[in-house]
Amino acid sequence: MQVNQLSKRIWIYALMLLVAVTTVGPFLLTLFISLKSPGEGIYDGFLPANPSLINFVEAFERANFGSYFINTIIVSAIAIPLNLFFCSLAAYPLARMEFKGRSFALVLIISTMMVPFQLFMAPLFQLAGELGLHNTHVGLVIMQVSTAFGIFLMRQAFLRIPKELEESAYLDGANKFQVWYKVALPLVKPTLITLAIFTFMETWGDYLWPLINTTDSSMYTLSIGLAQLSQNFDGANLKLVSAGSILTVIPTLLIFIWLQKYFISGVTEGSVKG
Amino acid sequence: MAKRLISNRTNKKMFKMTPWLFLLPSILILGTFLIYPILQAFHWSVLDYKLISGTGEFVGLENFKELFTDKAFWNALLNTLLFLLIVLPLNIFLPMVLAVLVNQKLRGVTTFRVLYYLPFVTPMVVGALMWKMLYSQNGMISDFLVKLGIFDSPTNLLVQQGTALVAVAVITVWKGLGYYMIIYLAGLQSLPKGVYESAEIDGASTFQQFRKITVPMLVPSITLVSILTIIAGMKVFDEIAIATGGGPAGATTTLVIYIYNKFMSLDVSIASAAGLVLLILAIIASLLQMKLTSKREDDLRA
Repeated sequence: MQVNQLSKRIWIYALMLLVAVTTVGPFLLTLFISLKSPGEGIYDGFLPANPSLINFVEAFERANFGSYFINTIIVSAIAIPLNLFFCSLAAYPLARMEFKGRSFALVLIISTMMVPFQLFMAPLFQLAGELGLHNTHVGLVIMQVSTAFGIFLMRQAFLRIPKELEESAYLDGANKFQVWYKVALPLVKPTLITLAIFTFMETWGDYLWPLINTTDSSMYTLSIGLAQLSQNFDGANLKLVSAGSILTVIPTLLIFIWLQKYFISGVTEGSVKG
Repeated sequence: MAKRLISNRTNKKMFKMTPWLFLLPSILILGTFLIYPILQAFHWSVLDYKLISGTGEFVGLENFKELFTDKAFWNALLNTLLFLLIVLPLNIFLPMVLAVLVNQKLRGVTTFRVLYYLPFVTPMVVGALMWKMLYSQNGMISDFLVKLGIFDSPTNLLVQQGTALVAVAVITVWKGLGYYMIIYLAGLQSLPKGVYESAEIDGASTFQQFRKITVPMLVPSITLVSILTIIAGMKVFDEIAIATGGGPAGATTTLVIYIYNKFMSLDVSIASAAGLVLLILAIIASLLQMKLTSKREDDLRA
């Protein structure tokens, strides 16, 4: 029995390690390629022979990664606060007030989550053009400043608040907006953080819409800049692509490590059927 | 008393405005950038819409006729279904095994969990580029396959007609591992512990416990993972666009890539018609899946 338990444990660790190699391996490979010095072939050996940061310097100097970074930060900085504000505002009456049209609004919002973006990207592209939003930061975030997913997530959170807390605020003479702001919002702070993270991931890694909406390379986000750079997928350029990839992924990894538990609750809350 | 009733009533009337004030910003934004373009796409699908002039004439079902007689469309539809057929079983099975593994009370398990989440928090463009390097002819995967004797000479799986779709699907599965694992973990943690203990006493092996207890009890999680996989799988764009661009020779051109290509060649009405097909598939898939799995849950209960 004892031996059995031990061998079972060894098997579990071996399996877990094998999976870890496949999930982490691509990151290590990319990191090592990005650290290879100019003379080195990218596929000659796994580890860099003479590690050098030259590719990261080049990414900023030659490949414009500084400007891509700034654009991506601006886009996230617009999207996150607006999405939190508008979604928590819209979700509140859907969770907490009785009014005509509530179920209609709710069903309409939730059912839009099923609609593939590719269905309406052409009309959206035209609309963005008419509104002068091509090649602008605001134009890049229009899909993220209020999202059906965010409203759904916030509504789930408001539904869990005990009603008594709000009722006592009403007795003190507060109006609905005050109760929302002063009582309800502080109670759903964890979900707000979760939504902030998901909005960040969404804007930081967004690819298709920026690809369509941006033609001016000074407006490229990291995803687009990286994809453009990788058009030339060989030799020396791949070291630059690797350095760019590492630069792009570092902020998301840091935020993930920092706010891990909110990521996880976001997945379980966001995926449970309404 | 009467006065109070009246004031109450007006009060009530005024209150009805408030929910809509809360909803107003989102209604404006979603209405403008989501609902309106969706309705327009419906409209464009029965027009011969020209993006440049911004006009189009009513052509009835011509776009759908053109779509249904286009071989490339059927190829794209087939590829979308094939892609789902590859991804779905992997997404159901692999994250489940991972969840069972990291649900053990063992040292270092939390570290492994974190390592499994990494692909999920990585932007897809980065993930796809990393895998594209791994797949490259001089890359590790090709080396490995040659060493195993599967290929005689270095081969890039992404540029082979027969393997490209599977190779891309691997990227999708890799990226989703941690995400679906979390869903299974939530399911596992809600299972009663007593069942395993009595199974242990009855002498059931680990594998038997997994097959006879864990899998059947995880049916709700399996349903959820399946629906999410199907809906997300139909919309997959980034990894295909980056890794293969839809090639070689259309081997990875899914419906989404087909729509994108039509849009890029300014055939926006055909793109809208194809988009509607995609929408209908997404709706059918979720309805069908829900029905099938709720039936299976009933069978289990009976």
